[in-house]
Amino acid sequence: MNLASTLRAAMLFLILVLLHYTLRPLLGWRAPMDFLVLALLLSAIRVRPAAGALIGLALGLVSDSLTPDALGAGAAAMTVVGYLASWLKAVFFADNIALNAFFFFLGKWIFDVIYFVVENRIGGIELVQQLLLWSPLSAAATAVAGMVLILVMRPLLEPART
Amino acid sequence: MARAVRAGNSRIDLIILGGAALLALVARGLPPNLRDPVASSMRTTFLAPLVMLQERAEASRRSLLLDDARTAIRDSVSLRAMTVASLENENDRLRQLIGLGARLKWGFIPGEAIHGRGVRDVTTMTVTSGSNAGVRRLSPVISPEGVVGMVSTVDPTMSEAMIWTHPDFRVSAMSEDGAAFGIVQAHLASATTGYLMELRGIPFRSSLKPGSLIVSSGLGGVWPRGIPVGTVLKEVKTAEGWARTYLLKPAVSPADVGAVMILRTDRVTKSFENVWTSVAAAEAAAQRIVVSGDSAAKSAALAEAAARRAALDTTRRVIVPSPIPGGLPPELMPDTLLNEEAGLPLDTSAAAVARREAIRRAAARRDSLRRDSLERQAPRPSPTRGN
Repeated sequence: MNLASTLRAAMLFLILVLLHYTLRPLLGWRAPMDFLVLALLLSAIRVRPAAGALIGLALGLVSDSLTPDALGAGAAAMTVVGYLASWLKAVFFADNIALNAFFFFLGKWIFDVIYFVVENRIGGIELVQQLLLWSPLSAAATAVAGMVLILVMRPLLEPART
Repeated sequence: MARAVRAGNSRIDLIILGGAALLALVARGLPPNLRDPVASSMRTTFLAPLVMLQERAEASRRSLLLDDARTAIRDSVSLRAMTVASLENENDRLRQLIGLGARLKWGFIPGEAIHGRGVRDVTTMTVTSGSNAGVRRLSPVISPEGVVGMVSTVDPTMSEAMIWTHPDFRVSAMSEDGAAFGIVQAHLASATTGYLMELRGIPFRSSLKPGSLIVSSGLGGVWPRGIPVGTVLKEVKTAEGWARTYLLKPAVSPADVGAVMILRTDRVTKSFENVWTSVAAAEAAAQRIVVSGDSAAKSAALAEAAARRAALDTTRRVIVPSPIPGGLPPELMPDTLLNEEAGLPLDTSAAAVARREAIRRAAARRDSLRRDSLERQAPRPSPTRGN
């Protein structure tokens, strides 16, 4: 990955982080899109799995700092998602946009599953409802947002060819 | 070789993954007293801009969500604010009316005035009280400020009142001190002067100063004595040489008439003592007293002394007063009672005794009037006198 590609990826990462802290609270949906997961996924496919895990750890700690009671849950979930995204980059990120959307959907859903399990705040029916209803909805919204991003910012989204 | 490198890299990746996951789980397992400072330090340092962005975004969202509600509230408040002034005005008028009712004590019928046409050309109004409530034709209609009009036609539940702006409206009026009597009617000379009154028929020898209060005189039997009619603005020059005409500012503006009271016929003939309290008149009286101060009493004393000296001189010069045709009547001539003080011989005839008795009564009445006028200059709660 050359310097220009790295700068583009950093810029995209920054934009997504900003969107996460501006557009997401502005919309205030019950099943919100997760721009941090998108940033993690789009970053992780450009780096090795270990780096993806570290990026996930950092992003997770950042997101957890606003919910101190769940500190570490988001970090653990993003670590795993970052690692898996980097590991599965050869599978995904073909030129098939639907596959990319499924990649985003799956990444967000896995994140939610790990997050809510590790957080251990809700359980029982409420956890099932969260994981089978609200998390898929949120993952779908994230996937839609990711598809829009891919269409709009395709020049910035060229993955590194290794 | 390449496979070995990939296997080594994968092992490193797995080790790093394990380390990162372990670190995250350690963070998750931190006790609250350690977890909160860590999170707080991150929020207040490098995450501060992002936290600020999120706060702004959430505030914007709340503003967007509350915008419709706020707009509705703002519109409602604006709508209510538009009516506040009229409500306050109506409240003040109702308070005044309640105060008037408390002072009248009995014999009045409250009603609401309904204006039929435009504000500028109103001469009649409908009152929401009729014969069922005791309203009779020619009953006086009053407000806390004074004369409004009189009832012209009566229905069982409503009545029609002629406002003082009507060309046929007349009320016998007098100055506050009772020195001048006249007839008040609407001033119809010019439409540009607004609603004004005319006080006609004031004797030429009586002069009224601008600002003098004019009240109903009680003559005629329709209006009781002492209800404020208006205040003098200026004298109007007319062709009549024997009487003066004054322009009055009415006590009641027809456009402001809302709640009114209709006096019952049995109340008209009773006393109206202390019913109308005119703050303006009381202030004017107080101001007059402050301005004149002690000089009023001093000048009165000097004038009386001068009159006595003049009377003594006249008595010494004129032994037998001869009435002058068309001149002053004998009781108003310089004080002829001083004949006794001068040691002049008294006429002991019956006619002379009767004339001296009449002169004595006239002098006593004059002293009484002077004393009353001095008392009226003092600030009293009611500028009017009862019947």
